[in-house]
Amino acid sequence: METTLTPVLGATAQHITAEEFDAIVRRHQRRVHRVLLMLLRDADEADNLTQECFLKAYQNFSSFRGECSLETWLLRIAANLARDHARSRKTSFWKRLLGFDDGADEVPTWHIAAPEASPEQTLLAREEVRAVWAVADQLSQQQRAVFLLRFVEEMELHEIATALGLQVGSVKAHLFRALQNVRGKLRDPR
Amino acid sequence: MNSSENSHDPLVERALVGFDLAAEHHLANCAPCQKERERVQEALQSFGAANRQYAHRPEGFWEQQAARIRVAQQERAHRSRLTLTLAPGLAALVLLASVLLHRAPVPTPAQPAVQVDYDHELLVEVERAMQNGTPMSLQAATLMVEESDSSRPMNSVNSAKESRSHEN
Repeated sequence: METTLTPVLGATAQHITAEEFDAIVRRHQRRVHRVLLMLLRDADEADNLTQECFLKAYQNFSSFRGECSLETWLLRIAANLARDHARSRKTSFWKRLLGFDDGADEVPTWHIAAPEASPEQTLLAREEVRAVWAVADQLSQQQRAVFLLRFVEEMELHEIATALGLQVGSVKAHLFRALQNVRGKLRDPR
Repeated sequence: MNSSENSHDPLVERALVGFDLAAEHHLANCAPCQKERERVQEALQSFGAANRQYAHRPEGFWEQQAARIRVAQQERAHRSRLTLTLAPGLAALVLLASVLLHRAPVPTPAQPAVQVDYDHELLVEVERAMQNGTPMSLQAATLMVEESDSSRPMNSVNSAKESRSHEN
């Protein structure tokens, strides 16, 4: 699924045509949108920032050197946008307090598609997902991003490190702590 | 076995983070830890699947999003082209305006009309001539004085000096 820049544009591409850009959007928009949706848990914001992410990528295409995959580079832009957005959202305390920010922070527990599972199994799975989200919510922004990229996007450690601008060792440390919390929560869901 | 009492806890996390030889070696020989890893792994897989499902959108959504991005990109490209086209013209205009402003004649303060005083001018001229030397009109008189000085004997001057020294 991952596509490097080379087959599309050539490793030293400085500029892309509108058609090439459109092809890139169509190839990567699902993943970029999904990552933003996970990080923000706000469908509208995820949609807006997906658009912003691709526009930024187009604008700064000359800075892409092909050192990582194009998708990882796009996810890095997306992660930075999500981080900036989270910072600005922190300041909108009154907005949240007054209930104008209801769309955010949805917990996707009801999307467990397992038609062959029994009602008990589905319920248990829902509880587990809820427990994992509860842990993810308590993680720092960086830890949560690492955790979600690893266990939802199933990215490799070095890809996560590149996407978030971290060392692989830091990624491992963040995951280790997150997993300790998840295990603790699964043992004692209260 | 209660997993909270499992002293090998960190090895389960280490095995879940990524490939870890020591952890894998331990888990291969420790059934409770293996079971615990499977349990957490299952929860994480459900979590991942739920999130991917949650993010699922119909094909029309992606089409619309791609179209919106295309339009926004074209608008930005048009704006930047417009800026690139207009910027040199604007810069030239600013430059021209500044040059014109600098070249415009600076209004000098009006000089008060000077009344020419001919008598004063004459006096100034005479004074200047006196400082530079003898005026033309007095040159003849000057010559006469010089001649009379040179005709006086030098002795009379010397004897006068001597008489003064004897007085002391």
